[in-house]
This record gives sequence, structure tokens and C-alpha cells, in this order.
Amino acid sequence: MSWGFEFRTEVWVTAYTGVKAKSLQEFTEAIKVVPNSSLFYHFYLNLFNYHNLPTDYPNSFAHWLARNNCEILAEKISVIDPIRYYDLEKLREDLLSILWECEAEKVKAFLEPFHFIYVHRHVLETGRVAYNLEEFVEGIEKSSIYSLFHHLITCRVDKGSAINDYSEWLINQGYAKKGEAIESIDVYMLNLYEVKEAILEVMKE
Amino acid sequence: MIKLEDYEKSVGIETIEELLLIAEKLKDLKVLHINSTKEGGGVAEILSRLVPLMNSVGIKTHWEVFKGSEKFFRFTKKLHNMLHIKGFSTIESHEVSTYLKETYENLNRINTQDYDVVFVHDPQPMGMIINKQNHQKWIWRCHIDTSTPDPKAWDFIELFINSYDAAIFHIPEFVYHNLKIPAYIIPPSIDPLHPKNLDLDQEFVLQTVQKFGVDIGKPLLLQVSRFDRLKDPMGVYEAYKIVKSKDDCQLVLVGAYASDDPEGYEVYKELINATSGDKDVFVLNLPSDSHLEINSFQRFATVVFQKSIREGFGLVVTEAMWKKKPVIGGNVGGIKRQILNGITGFLVNSLEGAAYRARQILADRELREKMGFYARERVKHRFLITRHLKDYLTLIRSLNL
Repeated sequence: MSWGFEFRTEVWVTAYTGVKAKSLQEFTEAIKVVPNSSLFYHFYLNLFNYHNLPTDYPNSFAHWLARNNCEILAEKISVIDPIRYYDLEKLREDLLSILWECEAEKVKAFLEPFHFIYVHRHVLETGRVAYNLEEFVEGIEKSSIYSLFHHLITCRVDKGSAINDYSEWLINQGYAKKGEAIESIDVYMLNLYEVKEAILEVMKE
Repeated sequence: MIKLEDYEKSVGIETIEELLLIAEKLKDLKVLHINSTKEGGGVAEILSRLVPLMNSVGIKTHWEVFKGSEKFFRFTKKLHNMLHIKGFSTIESHEVSTYLKETYENLNRINTQDYDVVFVHDPQPMGMIINKQNHQKWIWRCHIDTSTPDPKAWDFIELFINSYDAAIFHIPEFVYHNLKIPAYIIPPSIDPLHPKNLDLDQEFVLQTVQKFGVDIGKPLLLQVSRFDRLKDPMGVYEAYKIVKSKDDCQLVLVGAYASDDPEGYEVYKELINATSGDKDVFVLNLPSDSHLEINSFQRFATVVFQKSIREGFGLVVTEAMWKKKPVIGGNVGGIKRQILNGITGFLVNSLEGAAYRARQILADRELREKMGFYARERVKHRFLITRHLKDYLTLIRSLNL
């Protein structure tokens, strides 16, 4: 049965949790208690915020740790690919186990505090629906990077799904190869403009 | 009247469509902004653009200006300073009386009751919250760093602040740890359609800088700032001298001082005296509406400094980044949140650091262009007025009205 793909987008506004860390010990304690929406901001939305810039580290935790002379920890945290997670509690657990491994770093004095931010998100219907491949390609072409970010990345957390929205729809429509090819695009390493081009390439093959 | 569509060239059609989409569900709301001046200063400048844009997306938005006597504003200026820095002064009971009396006068003058959301900017009009109705949401937009306030100043604003539904700050570092209401983080923005930031014809740029005596054949180092010691213009001059000893270049320090700003005049005179022997240094005190001149200098500059010792957000950094300039900024305040060190410019902690980075940028055209490209990308995504509008709309949607 053919069902339409509803193109959505998302917007967010940031707020301060009131939690800040001035040492690794405080940082570890904070990671235990900050809301999921804070982990979401620092891991996922920072990926969006810096996707088009060649930053040293992909998330603000790693960036801050590196600035405070905790390069090993920064490197270990930088390889946590948020796209592989759909459960933020699991992400929190993995983060904590890396922090516990690096006991020795806890004695270091930090130069500047880390401020934990969280987000209010809103997912919006764009009103565009695709019922066939042609409409799907047109929808992708008209999609903003916010929309791409939603369907490729944050939808996994929202739905607890290991696969992105585009691939899921394509596979269900009988285009498994295209769906798999889109799922294999490395959104952690490319910027969202490049990702959009890569998707369109897959679709036009 | 400015319209949302006018921004399509700067941000793309997708962003425009998305803003309309967010605004759609807010169309029946009425929003009011209150600040304390219609002209002059960053808040009035942002509101003069943001209010028409909110109307342009279909949200009925009005802007009212709080009126106060000289005595009132003398007190609120002191309050502003006390919120910024500890141990500045004290608050007298007659000042509290003046504040309350004139706030009540404004309560009678400004109708706040017909609105669903009221944004109050900075401490001057914050007492207007007294008129809050149950169905309304009131937001305090704070444009200053309140992280280490004088306790007396904080006690005073606590008379009002806890009745607000939320506050907004530029960066999390500006939030006082004892704040009891939600603190949203919304950085300020620049308007790409303001004469300060509009694209200019290269011929016009060259003619403009030449009018001031600048040699268009030589690289130019630039700092645009008030003549204020906290902006460290003398440090920039010292950095320039280090650069100049190796690379032939020019320096322009351009700013303004108001007639009622004795310190500004003093700093300006010091700079004139210190630089008088060097024909490649230009210290320019321009009228505050010299937007096209400043725009031209920023576009012509090879390297832009903002070597502040203390800074709020530093929108002048944003303006230069929008013009694809690598900025060498002091590692303080909002500058730290804008410049990605080594990617869109450099953060420095000393005049020597500023000089070294300037030489690096002067020597490497590819680095300059790459940094300029990333600087503009950063501003396009994070610091334009369209993002500011989006944040406000998203915040209103988050208020559960």
C-alpha cells in the first residue's frame, strides 16, 4: 500500500539549565542530572550549528574539554556519533563510562566553566506530501537544512528508530536500495548541504 | 516598510517559508515590546527592524517607549552599571521613589492589557510588570551581563523579575546564578539590509576610504569601536606598530564619542597624540550615522580587530564577519561565542597575540579568504535578524499560551 511522505521541519529555542561545571568532577555530576534535552542540544543541535564549519570537535563537550587541556577525553567523546543513538539515556550512560575511565584528568584545574543549555523543540508540518518518487525528489529539493536535519537525525530520537525517515519510507515503497544508500550517507562527517546533494544524487540514479 | 521577503537574497527562500510556517499558529496573538528609547543604541536598532518583521509574518506587534525624567534615567543608568559590576554604588530611597512614581505614570500611559505577550527590554521599564494580567506572558529581555551583579541592584530588580514568566539573555555567561525564572538564550543579531551591512559597490568603497586619506594600494588594519579604554584602541595601535615593523600597512581606528562622554574625548585625544607622527594611522571620530563609511572601511579592511578587554556581545564583530573578514578579537564576552578560533578568525589575549595573528592573516591570502568565507557562513546561520525573529517566534510558541 502506498502512503505519503509528510515533509516536516523543526525549530528550537535554547535556554540555560542553570547548571555549570568548573571541573571534570562537576562536569561528570552534571552529566548525571541534566535533562535529556540538554544532551540533545550539546550533541545533536551543535552538530547542526557547526555542520558547515570545519571545527576540531563535533560537540560542545569535546570542544570545551580540549580547550581545558583534556585532549584525550575530548578525543574519546568526539567519536561518539549521536546518529547511532536513538535513546538519550544510553548516550548518557556511554558518556559517563568514558568520563569514569579518565579518573586521572579529574585533578586538572579548568580555565573556564561549561554552561549546560537545553532546548524547546517544535516539529512543524510543512504541508508538503509526496506520494511517489517524483514528488519525493521535489520535496527534498524544496527542503531546508532544518527539515533535512529533522528527517535524518532527530527523528531517530523522537521515534526511537534506528533508521532515518527518508530511508524508512523508500524501503516501505519498495525502493530498498535507495533507502539503504541514503542511510549509508555519513551525516556526521558531511555538512547538510552536501548531504542534500548526496540524497538527490541517490534519488536520480 | 521592511518585509520578510526582502531577506530572501540573504538567507534563502527555505528560511522565509519556515518563518511563515512558525508564525502561522501565532497569528491571532498580539505582542508588545517596551523599551526606553525610540532611537540610539542597539535595542532600538533591533526593535526598529524586528517589530515590522513580526507584523510582516502576521503577528500584530506594537512597540511602546517608556518615558522617564532625567532623574529617572540617571538612576537606571546607575542600576545598569550596578547589575554589570559589583561595588559600583548604592541605591538611595529617593531613587526608589522616583523609579516607582515614574513607572506608575507609564502604567497609566501605556496600554499593556490588550496583548498576549509583552517583551520588556532592560531594567528601565521592568516595573511595568505590575500591570500583568493572568492570561498574559511577560518576558524580560536583558541586554547586559548580570552574572556578577551588585547585591543591592539584584535585590532591587527582584522586586519585579520573579513576576515575569521568563528572561532572555545573549549568552549563558550573562545569567546570574540566583535567577529564579527560566533563562532563554537568544543572541543578538545584525540586519543584512541595514546601511551598515548592505552590499556596496567596490568603486564606492574605494572612493569612500580614499576620502579619508587611506592608500588603496596598502593593506588596512581596522578597529571600529567607541573611544573607550575597554575596547583597548591603544593596544591595537601597539599591535599595529609590531606588524608595521615588518609589513607595510595602515591602521584605521574609527569610532565616535558623544558630547557628554568626557572619557571618550580623553581616549580620542590620547590616540591622536600617540599616532600623530605616523601618516599611515587614521583616528577618525565620525558621526553616529556614518553607516556607509563604516561599511566601506569594513569591506576594504584586510584584517579587522576587536581587541576588547571587556565586551557585551560585540555586534561589530558580527558585522565584519558578515563582510567576510577574519576578525582578531579579545578572548572575552560575546566575542568568544562568535569567533571560532583559527576558523573564522582568531581569539587573542594580548597585543602581541593580536600582532602575530594580524601578520599571519596579512601573509596568507588563502587563509584570509577561507576564514572570511567561514565567518560569513557562521553569521548567516547564527547571527542574522531572521534567526532572531525565528527565536522569538519559537519562544512565543513555547510559552503555552
